[in-house]
Parts: sequence; structure tokens; C-alpha cells
Amino acid sequence: MLQKMTKIQVIGPKDDLHSTVDFLYNLGTVHLEDASTTIAPGDTMLRRVQASPKIDIAGALVKVSGMFHLLPTMPVNEALKTQIYEGLRWKNDDELVDEANQVIGELETVTKELATRKSDIEFTLTNLTHYEEVIEKLQPLEAQLPILEGFEVTVILIQREFKDVLEIVRSALVEITHNQFELMSADVDEATTAAVTVFNKRYSDQVHSFIWSQNVNEVRLPPEYLDKPFDQVLTLVDEQRQKSTVEMSAVNEELVELSRNWYPKLSVLKEVLEDRNEELSVFTKFGQTDYTFVMIGWVPQKQLANTKNALKKAFEGRVIVNDLSVSREENYNAPSCYDNPRIVKPFETLSNLIGTPRSGEIEPTLLLALFFPFFFGLMVGDIGYGICILVFALVVRWFYGQRSPTIKQLMNILIICSIPTMFFGYLYGEFFGNLGQMMGWIQPVTIDGVTLDRIKIIVPLIIFTVAIGVFHVFFGLGIGVVNARRRSNQKLVCTRVGMILTLASIIVILLAIVAVVPSILVAPGIVLLVIGLPLVMYGGGIAGAIEVMSTFTNVLSYARLMAIGMASVVLALVANELGSSMGIVLVGLLVAVLLHGLNVVLCMFSPSIQALRLHIVEFYSKFYEGGGRSYDPFKRGTAK
Amino acid sequence: MLDWSIAIGAGIAFGLGALGTGIAQARIGAAGAGVIAEKPELFGLALVFVALPETLVILGFVVAAIILFVLPTM
Repeated sequence: MLQKMTKIQVIGPKDDLHSTVDFLYNLGTVHLEDASTTIAPGDTMLRRVQASPKIDIAGALVKVSGMFHLLPTMPVNEALKTQIYEGLRWKNDDELVDEANQVIGELETVTKELATRKSDIEFTLTNLTHYEEVIEKLQPLEAQLPILEGFEVTVILIQREFKDVLEIVRSALVEITHNQFELMSADVDEATTAAVTVFNKRYSDQVHSFIWSQNVNEVRLPPEYLDKPFDQVLTLVDEQRQKSTVEMSAVNEELVELSRNWYPKLSVLKEVLEDRNEELSVFTKFGQTDYTFVMIGWVPQKQLANTKNALKKAFEGRVIVNDLSVSREENYNAPSCYDNPRIVKPFETLSNLIGTPRSGEIEPTLLLALFFPFFFGLMVGDIGYGICILVFALVVRWFYGQRSPTIKQLMNILIICSIPTMFFGYLYGEFFGNLGQMMGWIQPVTIDGVTLDRIKIIVPLIIFTVAIGVFHVFFGLGIGVVNARRRSNQKLVCTRVGMILTLASIIVILLAIVAVVPSILVAPGIVLLVIGLPLVMYGGGIAGAIEVMSTFTNVLSYARLMAIGMASVVLALVANELGSSMGIVLVGLLVAVLLHGLNVVLCMFSPSIQALRLHIVEFYSKFYEGGGRSYDPFKRGTAK
Repeated sequence: MLDWSIAIGAGIAFGLGALGTGIAQARIGAAGAGVIAEKPELFGLALVFVALPETLVILGFVVAAIILFVLPTM
């Protein structure tokens, strides 16, 4: 269900603009509209509000956030946080920016210096690790290198897939050094090959220039490592690393000390600045005269009185809220606010997959919450599987529910679905397939002489599921007629009424042909067809007539409720048969558990997708329009 | 004993439906993977699109069931 929305106009003296915006931001009930779009060019009465360019809240926020993210996280005493918050909350924009600038002035230099030192040390440590990796790989080649006075050692890195470049380098070195060089290579890791070359120093510039021109990655060792044996370089690298690690610890300690003194204030200041920045960002949506401001927005009907009273009380009647009358078109484009019972809420996650419903149309989440678990239970229908799904969903919700609201909602859906699964399991007499029957625990229920053993009633089950399809599709078309009437779209009303009549006529005629209903009903069926088909063609043209066949296929599509269930029950039977045929009890048990486990996992996915698909493709397509926009109130915590 | 033509007929009805579904799902699945790479939030919708052509195999199954269970009784 969607809540009825009311369009409101908030008017007050300009002196109260900032405090009104702040008040609404904390109240969080108004979906603000751009009032400036209603201001015509050249309109002298109402002008667009501009935020003061002198107050640089955004600039202060950027600097404070930068410093905040540099400091290590600290637990903050809630009482202290509240105290700081109350101290900052009531400051006006100028005072707040002054306060922020004072903090920035005190912290900026020291945090910048620490950040630079930290970054330099991190860079050094990364380089040292890199040198160490390369040199360790090249160390075995060292013995083969000639140790000559006046010769230079250079290391280059090449991606292994471009190893052929080494031959090009070798040919160039032959030319540049007149064949006075050595070049050896070794693989550093799966992706990289390192090569070391020794050549006379007088060719140094030419060689480096060539390597650079070939875009080959040269390892440039610091000057203090040059002309030293590799084992000495490794010792130096190790010493440097230890030194850098000590320096890093010192920097971190300084940061912790800084954080201990400043983290609470910075975190609250950042929060208040974010709020104030968000408030300023909506200022251009407002209109103003010389003395008043005007805001336009939408409020859910249920929160209208609360919003009005709160504003009246806070501003002692200076700021007033007017209800605006809206045209049908405006109401159609109003933001959509869900108003579903708690048990239906999880299904909003599935409804949102196809977008937001239009305000004014029938919102189908309640129907989804009704039919989805029914379809799921009808397909899976096993007490044992129902228990497994319930336990799985509860455990996953327990461990991951707090971290991800989507997972929590999906698990809630599974929990709801597990109940009809067990119910249908009771009807079918299934407990892990036919295990319950084999053990004598449970038997299929018999209704009117028909035993509901799924394997033995394939055709009646197909008929039953197609009958569900008939009901569901007719129900969808019925809602479609209501929606079309609400939109005053007479052609659409005709198409949908015509579709109902045509579909009903086809079904009656088919049933009469196979002698399920008396053949005398063929004549009324033809009459329905004669009335229905022209109505469909009036509303939808030739495409509408083709749509009749598509809708008829939609009805047959519900046979999947039986087919998917059949696949599940057959796999369960296979698990039991295979398990019981094993000579060793333990192996048999293991095989059965594994197959049932696989089946339970499949049962959670496939029937969910099929049930969802039946709704989105077969059901929603008969009435759902969508393309609406969500109710997005201006409130704390929505800063982007 | 089941007439061989009935079994073959049911097999063809189901098998061709499954083949059609497979071909369609392969193409939709590939397109869906592309969509998810660009917009991961459309994963749910892509999954539903992949399930769309299963109507073919379901109809094949219904026809096969009619051939197997209803035709012999007529």
C-alpha cells in the first residue's frame, strides 16, 4: 500500500529561514520540491533563495574531514560527544565556520606534517620490499657477474608475457657497448622477470636512455646501494627497514596522541558541518520575497498533523503550513511512500526490483506478500525442507542481518516462506521426500478421495496450478481496470475489460470442447469473444489482439508451480533411494544428506526466482505501471 | 507396456522445449552478465530475465505430461 501524500507550502519570515530548514532537517518528514521551478522568469514577487557565498561551510567540511580521516579511530564517550554536539549545534553558520577554522588552524600544520612523514615512510617501506624481492631473486646470478672497476650494474623488470623484449635489449646493448656487457635474467614471480646487466660506465647515459625509450621498468637503486655486492645491499635494506619501522611507530604514536585530544571534537564538528552543508544545499529550492520565504514539499498524510503542530509550536505561529490542492496529474507524479504492515515490509525489497510504483496506483507489495509464500510453499512442499530453510534463514539473519539490511529482508522472506512450505509438506505427506512415509511418520492427506501424493497426481496438479494461473491473471487484469479508471484512461479500461472477456471466452470454449463443462456454454463463450475482442482491439489495436495469446500463455505458465515442485520431489526421492541402496549405513547416510542438502539449496533459489517471475511477468504486467519516485524526506543521515 | 511412439512424442515435446529455453537463456544470461557488470544493483532483475524463457520448457513439460498421462486414457 502507498500512503496518501499531501502537497504543502511552508511560508515564514526570512529571518526564520535557517532555523526552519534546520528544524525540518531534524523533523525529517518533508520531501522537498524545487519551488524555484514554479517561479516564472521575470517574476518580481518570488525570487530564488541563494545561500550566502561568504560562508564556506563546504571548504571547512573538506578540511575537517581530511584531518578526521587521518587520525586513528578512538572510542568516544557518548556523554562527551553530546556535550560537544550541544555546544556546536546551536551556533549559526558564521560561528560554526569560525570554530572550524580555529580547529583547522591548530591542527592543519601538524596533521599535514605527520601525513607527509607517514606517506614518505610508507613509500620507503614499499620500495625496500620491492628491492629485496628483486635482489633476492638475482642473488644467485651474482657469482656469474664479472666484478670490474668502472662498470655499472643495472636491474630492469619485464612482464613475463613480454619476455621477448630481453632479446631486443641484448641486441641494443651489443651495439651501444660494443659487446662489452653481461645480461642475465631470472623470474621474480608469476608475472615478472628481472634482468641484470653490467656494462662500462662510459655507456651509462646511452644505455639508460635506450631503456627509458623502450618503456622498460628500471629498478633504480638508491645511490648508497650502488656498486655494492647484493648481500651487502640486502643487509642495508634490512637496516633501513628497521629504521623506517621505528620512525613509523613514532609517527603513529604522535597521531594516537593527537587523536586522543582531538578525535571527539573533530568527529562531532564533521557531523555538524555535514548536516549544515546538506541544509545549505537545498536553499536554492526555496523561493523568497523581500520579507518571507516559501518552501514546497510533500508530506505523508499520516505525518501531516505532526509536521504542522511541530512547526507551529517551534516558531509560535510565525511559520505556517498550507495544504495545497493538487491536480490529478500532480498527484500522479507525487513521491510514493510505502505504508505496509511489518510482515509485508520484507517483500518491498522484491517489489523495488522493478522500480517505484506511481502514486495513486494500487501498490502490489501486499499481494506479493500474500501470493509469493503460497507459490513457494506449493513448489517446495516438504516439512523437512521447510525446517531446514527456517533454520538457515534464522542463522544467516542472526549473523549477517545487522551488517546488511537486504540480507535481513531476504532472510525474513525465507522465514515467512518456510511456513507454507511445511504446511504443503504436511498436505503432500513429505518429510525429506518420502522418508517420512518410509518411516511411517506421515502420510499424504486425502481430500475427496484424492490422495495428495505429488508423484501420483501429476495431471490434477497441472490443472490445479493452471487454475491458480487463471485466478491470478484475472485478478491482475481486475486491478488493471481499477488503475486505468483512476487514471481516467478509457482506452486502457476497454483493453483490460476486453481482455478479461476474451480470456474467459477462450477458457469456457476450451473446457466445453474437452467436455469439462456442458457444451451449451459454447454459445455464451462465443458471445463473450464477440464482445471482448473488439474492446481489446479498440484499446490496443492489432497488437492488443496478439496480446490475447500472450495472456493465455501467461496462464499456462503457472504450470511451473507443479513442474518445479516435481523436480524437487524427484531429487528428494533419488536422495533417499541412493542412500538406502548403499551397503554401508554411514556412506548411505552421507550420500542422502549431501543430496538433500543440495536440494534444499536449490529449493531456496529456484522456487524463489520462479515465484518472483510469475509475479513480475505474469501478474504485474496486467496492471502495474511503475516509473514513480520514492519519498525521500529531507532529513539527517541522507547527506550524499 | 507404454507405446514407444508416446514415449518418443513426450521426449520430443519436452526436449525441444528445453533446447529452446537453453538457447534463449544462454543469450539472456550473457547479456545479463554484461548488465550486472555495469550496474550491479540490477542483479535481481537480470535474474528474472534469465528465468523468462523457462516458459518454453514448462509448456513442453505440460504437453509431455498430456501425451504421457492423458492420451493413453482417451
